[in-house]
Amino acid sequence: MEISHGSYNQKKFALPVDSEHKATEFRLFSAAAPHMRAFHLSWISFFACFVSTFAAPPLLPIIRDNLDLTATDIGNAGIAAVSGAVFARIAMGTACDLFGPRLASATLTLLTAPAVYCTSIADSPISFLLVRFFTGFSLATFVSTQFWMSSLFSGRVVGTANGVAGGWGNLGGGATQLIMPLVFDLIQNIGATKFTAWRIAFFIPALFQTLSAYGIFFLGQDLPDGNYSELHKSGEKHKDNFAQVFHHAVTNYRGWILALTYGYCFGVELTIDNIIAQYFYDRFNPGGGMLSDFMAKRFGMRGRLWTLWVVQTLGGVFCIILGQVGSLGVSVAVMLVFSVFVQAACGLTFGVVPFVSRRSLGIISGMTGGGGNVGAVLTQVIFFRGSRYSTETGLTLMGVMMICCTLLITLIYFPQWGGMFCGPSSKGKTTEEDYYMSEWSSSEREKGFHRASLKFSENSRSERGRKIGSAATPIDGTPNTYV
Amino acid sequence: MAIRAFLIVLSCLAAATCRGATFSSLQQTLIVTASPQPAQVLKAGEDEITVTWSLNSTFPAGVDSSYKTVTIKLCYAPISQKYRGWRKTVDNLVKDKTCQHKIVANKPYISSSSNNTFTSTVLRDVPTATYFIRAYAQNSEGDEVAYGQTTDSHKAVNLFEIQAITGRHVSLDIASICFSAFSILSLFGFFFLEKRKSKASESK
Repeated sequence: MEISHGSYNQKKFALPVDSEHKATEFRLFSAAAPHMRAFHLSWISFFACFVSTFAAPPLLPIIRDNLDLTATDIGNAGIAAVSGAVFARIAMGTACDLFGPRLASATLTLLTAPAVYCTSIADSPISFLLVRFFTGFSLATFVSTQFWMSSLFSGRVVGTANGVAGGWGNLGGGATQLIMPLVFDLIQNIGATKFTAWRIAFFIPALFQTLSAYGIFFLGQDLPDGNYSELHKSGEKHKDNFAQVFHHAVTNYRGWILALTYGYCFGVELTIDNIIAQYFYDRFNPGGGMLSDFMAKRFGMRGRLWTLWVVQTLGGVFCIILGQVGSLGVSVAVMLVFSVFVQAACGLTFGVVPFVSRRSLGIISGMTGGGGNVGAVLTQVIFFRGSRYSTETGLTLMGVMMICCTLLITLIYFPQWGGMFCGPSSKGKTTEEDYYMSEWSSSEREKGFHRASLKFSENSRSERGRKIGSAATPIDGTPNTYV
Repeated sequence: MAIRAFLIVLSCLAAATCRGATFSSLQQTLIVTASPQPAQVLKAGEDEITVTWSLNSTFPAGVDSSYKTVTIKLCYAPISQKYRGWRKTVDNLVKDKTCQHKIVANKPYISSSSNNTFTSTVLRDVPTATYFIRAYAQNSEGDEVAYGQTTDSHKAVNLFEIQAITGRHVSLDIASICFSAFSILSLFGFFFLEKRKSKASESK
C-alpha cells in the first residue's frame, strides 16, 4: 500500500491531493481542473435547475389568469414540481454509480430542458402541472453534485464542498424570484402583452440550463484521473453491475435512516418555501458542511452524527416555537433562526452521506436526496393541504415530527467509528477496510474491482477523530497521516 | 420583487388604516347599463363594450354634489371567484379584489343626468371569466362615494363572459419545439462523442 505524499502528486494537480487524487483543500476562487472546475460547473448547473423548477411561482399572478387556474391547481402543480424529483434522485444516484456524474447530470439537464421550453406552450391546468412535474426532475442534479464532490474531495473537505455546492445551487430558488419578474418586465416593455411575455420569459432559464449541460459535458471530468468511460475501457475503473450496486445500497440501513431524516430538514425547508412567501437567500447554508468537517477533525464520525442530531432537533424545537408565536416581528426572528438550523442540518447530513457506502455512493446520495422531496410532499399533504389544520398548528406538528424522525440518527452505527452512544466495536472485523470491503464479494476482490474502495478506506481513517479509539489498526500498519 | 411587494403591502396597510372606505357604506345611486347581453361571450382584444351611466333620478337632488369623477371596472362574478382567493370580495375597498380591470378611469362626472357613454375594446390582458360591470363615483380625493352596477345585489343576473387571448403564437410554439428537439439531439451527440473518445483511449 503506497503512502501518499503531497509533493509526489503536486506536479499533476493544482491542489494538494491524497492517494485517491482527491483534493484535500477546497479553494473557492480557483477554477483549476479537475477539482475546482467540476465544483463550479456542478453548482452552476444545479443553480440553473433550481431557477427553472421555481421559475413559475413568481409569475403565477399572470399565469393563473392566463390558464384560468384555481387555488387547488396551483397547489397541485407546486407539489408536482417537488415530487418528480423523488424517484429521479434515486435514479440519478444509480446513474452516477454506473456512468459517472458528468454524463448523468448533463443527460438529465438536457432531458429536462424541453419541459422548460414547453412551459411556453402550456394552455391548461393539466399541461401546467405536467411541465412543472417534468421540470422538477432536474432537481435530481443535486445528487450528481453531491456525488461529484464526494468523488473529487477528500474526507477533510467533503462536507464543505458538498455544502457550498448544494447551498449555492439552492440559491437558484431564491434568485429566480428576482430574475423571472425582471425578465418578464423587460419583455413587456419591449412590447409583448402580459399573456405572451411570461411565455417568452421561460426561454431564459431553459437556455441557461441547456448551456450549463454543455459546460459540464465539455469541461467536466468525473474523477481526478479521468472520465468513467475512459477509465472503464482502460481497466483502471471497474464498470460496476447495477444489481450489485442497488443491493448494497438498499440493504444499508444507514441510508434509509438518513433518507428519512433528510426528509425532515430539506423537506421542511421546501415546505416552508411553499407556504410562507419569504425568501432566504442563503438556503442550504454552507455552514452546515463546514461545521461537519470541523467536528469530524476533532471527534470523527461520532462528532458529525452528534452535531447533526443536535442541530436538526433544535430546528424542530424552533419550528414548534414558530407555530406558537403570535406577533409578526417575533415570528420573523424565530423563522430566521429556524431556517439557519434546518439549512445547517441539510449540510451536516451530506457530511455523513459520503461515508455510508463507497460502492453505492450514488444510490445512497439519491435515496437521501429523494427522501428530502418525500418529506416535502408528505408534510404538505398531511399538514398544509385543505383546512384540517390551521397553518400554526401545522407548523407545530411539523416541528414535533422533525424531532421524532431525527431521533433515528441515534441508531446509526459504524463499526469502525462508533455511533452516537457507542464507541467503535472492539471485536473482530472493525476497520475501515472491513466496512468498505464487505461491499465486495471475494470473487470480485480477486478481480481487483475493490481497489478504489480500498484507497477510500485508507483516507477515511480521518473519521476516527483526534482520539484514536480502540478500533484495530490494519495488519500492514499504515500510519495515520492526518492530524 | 420581494422588496417591491413588501413595500406595496406596507403602503396598502397604511392606506387601509387611513381610508377605511367600505363597500357597504356606498350608496347605489348610479344606473349602469352595458352592451354585453346576458351570457354573451366577448373576445378580449377584439370585441367592444359600451357602458352608459346616469344618476338615478329617484334620489333627492344634490346627492351627487360630492361626485367628481367616475371609474368603471370589469368585476368578477361569484362563479369566477370560487377557489380563487386572489379575486375575493372584501368589504374594505382598499383590499377588495372583485374589480381588477378598468374600462374607464377617472372620467369627470357630469351632474346633469344626461346619458354618459363610453366605448372601448376589451383589453388583451383580461382573463377568461364571467363578469359584470360596476361604476364607482369618486369625490375630489379619489375615494369612492357611490356606485352602480349592471347586475343585482346577489351578482346573479345579467352576467357575461370574456374569452381571453391564449398568449400563444405560432412562432413561440415553433421555437419551443425546435429548441427542445435541439436539446435532445445534442444529447445524442454527446453520447456519440463519448463513445468515440473511449474507443480512442482503448486503442491507445
